[in-house]
Amino acid sequence: MSLHAEVALRLGTLELDATLDVAAGEVVAILGPNGSGKTTLLRAIAGLLPLPAGRVELGGEVLEDPQRGLRVPAAQRAVGVVFQDHLLFPHLSAVDNVAFGLQARGTSRRAARQRAAAWLERVHLPGVGSAKPRALSGGQAQRVALARALAVDPALLLLDEPLAGLDVEAQLAIRHELRAHLDAFTGPCLLVTHQPVEAITLADRLVILEGGRIVQQGPVDEVARRPRSSWVARLVGLNLYRGYARHGSIDLGSGHRLLAAAPVNGEVFAVVHPHAVALHRSRPDGSPRNVWSGTIGGLDVYGDRVRVHVASAAPIVAEVTPAAVTDLDLGRGGTIWASFKASAVEPYQA
Amino acid sequence: MVAIAVLALPLLGLIVRAPWPQLPALLTEESAQAALRLSLITSLLALGLSTLLGVPLAWLFARREFPGKALLRALCVLPMVLPPVVGGVALLLAFGRRGLLGQPLAELTGITLPFSTGGVVLAEAFVAMPFLIVTVESGLRVMDPRYEDAAATLGASRWMVFRRVTLPLIRPSLGAGMALCWARALGEFGATITFAGNLPGRTQTMPLAVYLQLETSPDAAYLLSLILLVVSVVVLVALRDRFLGAR
Repeated sequence: MSLHAEVALRLGTLELDATLDVAAGEVVAILGPNGSGKTTLLRAIAGLLPLPAGRVELGGEVLEDPQRGLRVPAAQRAVGVVFQDHLLFPHLSAVDNVAFGLQARGTSRRAARQRAAAWLERVHLPGVGSAKPRALSGGQAQRVALARALAVDPALLLLDEPLAGLDVEAQLAIRHELRAHLDAFTGPCLLVTHQPVEAITLADRLVILEGGRIVQQGPVDEVARRPRSSWVARLVGLNLYRGYARHGSIDLGSGHRLLAAAPVNGEVFAVVHPHAVALHRSRPDGSPRNVWSGTIGGLDVYGDRVRVHVASAAPIVAEVTPAAVTDLDLGRGGTIWASFKASAVEPYQA
Repeated sequence: MVAIAVLALPLLGLIVRAPWPQLPALLTEESAQAALRLSLITSLLALGLSTLLGVPLAWLFARREFPGKALLRALCVLPMVLPPVVGGVALLLAFGRRGLLGQPLAELTGITLPFSTGGVVLAEAFVAMPFLIVTVESGLRVMDPRYEDAAATLGASRWMVFRRVTLPLIRPSLGAGMALCWARALGEFGATITFAGNLPGRTQTMPLAVYLQLETSPDAAYLLSLILLVVSVVVLVALRDRFLGAR
């Protein structure tokens, strides 16, 4: 049972065009900035938005193929969806929310409520069955929503921002539980999020969606190490550059050159970790091959370090100690020199 | 002050001048009872008809886009601003014995609506249904349609989504729409007298009886007016959150 989805549609200013394959038992996180089309992609796969073009296949069964005029309506797709904001039916109790899908699929009210109650126990919510959604905490509502989606025994699971809106403590607990439920789930699972932690802890693979296109996908650590868009690079806290390389000299097209230790050639991306970047008030002498000047753009506290944004034609972020901030008097802004070794530049093919 | 006087004094007058001592006797009078009974039956039937036809139409207006929607919608709410007499004339031309629909209807089934109790129901529904449509439609627009999506992904058919999710979620609007619709149907005068006439026991509803008895037995007219006033107040109280509690 695997998912193959080619989704191409326009919605307002969004032009979504993405192809995804998710294997049985695999959890894929779709990560991207707001408005990149993550939720729209999920809605299309769930059958809530008709596709003008594309194809959706689940376990070999074609769910949607506009070219052939084929479309299985949402109600007949074996898809469980956990919506953003949970969307528990406010007029139904927790147990009736979970029983809803079973009843919709023909189970008697009595049997459906029995199984729903068992599901509430599985998500660690025994005894809240008769409570209305407004009486539930965010974490409880999230668990009910998950139970509601899983109770109908779906072949595909879609989760839209499952941890959004929860306080930190609840996030931790729910993330842990969710991980267990996802491990037990045998079908493909798609998880939409804009929190990297959620993606890293829950997903086997990341898909980065920006402006309706997939800009990168792969295992979590690969995406984190070799980002292919500035949004991902910012997310994982790396400096990312793109340019044309000749024997390790990368022309960034802004008058700046990046000198790498490896003799790469052609169109490349290159990352420089902020902690490899040193700052100086005057032009440094000595060994660093890369020396850029710019103006201090801003300071962020990052763990026990401070990240300094240096604005120039090729902006760079440096990570320094709080002591260095005092020594160099970075708080007053002004001109600054950034230097890093050629060995700190990690290039890879674009 | 003038506005308050204009609005409130007539109602005060009705209450002060009402024949309170004769009230029980008047209530048991045959003609008053007939009008009361007929009004209740026809207005409730008109309410049922409006709900049955108006709710799906409101759903269509709130949830679907189709060519000519704006025009159709305008047409459907037109009776709200149309003089009821004009509505009655229009109904005669459509459903009258020689009407656009009335003639084939009479030839096929032998049913003629004008000057019948059915005609009263039709006239009342014609005038009152728009109130229900507009109220329910706004309720549907306020409701988050993603609840319907959630129900669909759980395998619910369209009918089940509507019955178990949409209807319960718009219940306040539906209740308000039904109350408004019923009140309007109960008070209907112009379209009814034009289309259905004024036959005691068959088409003479309370408002028509009030108008007629004002000349023959004013006390009975006061009484019937009082009843209609009480009904209006009850409806207003039931809808107080919508109109009076506008905070």
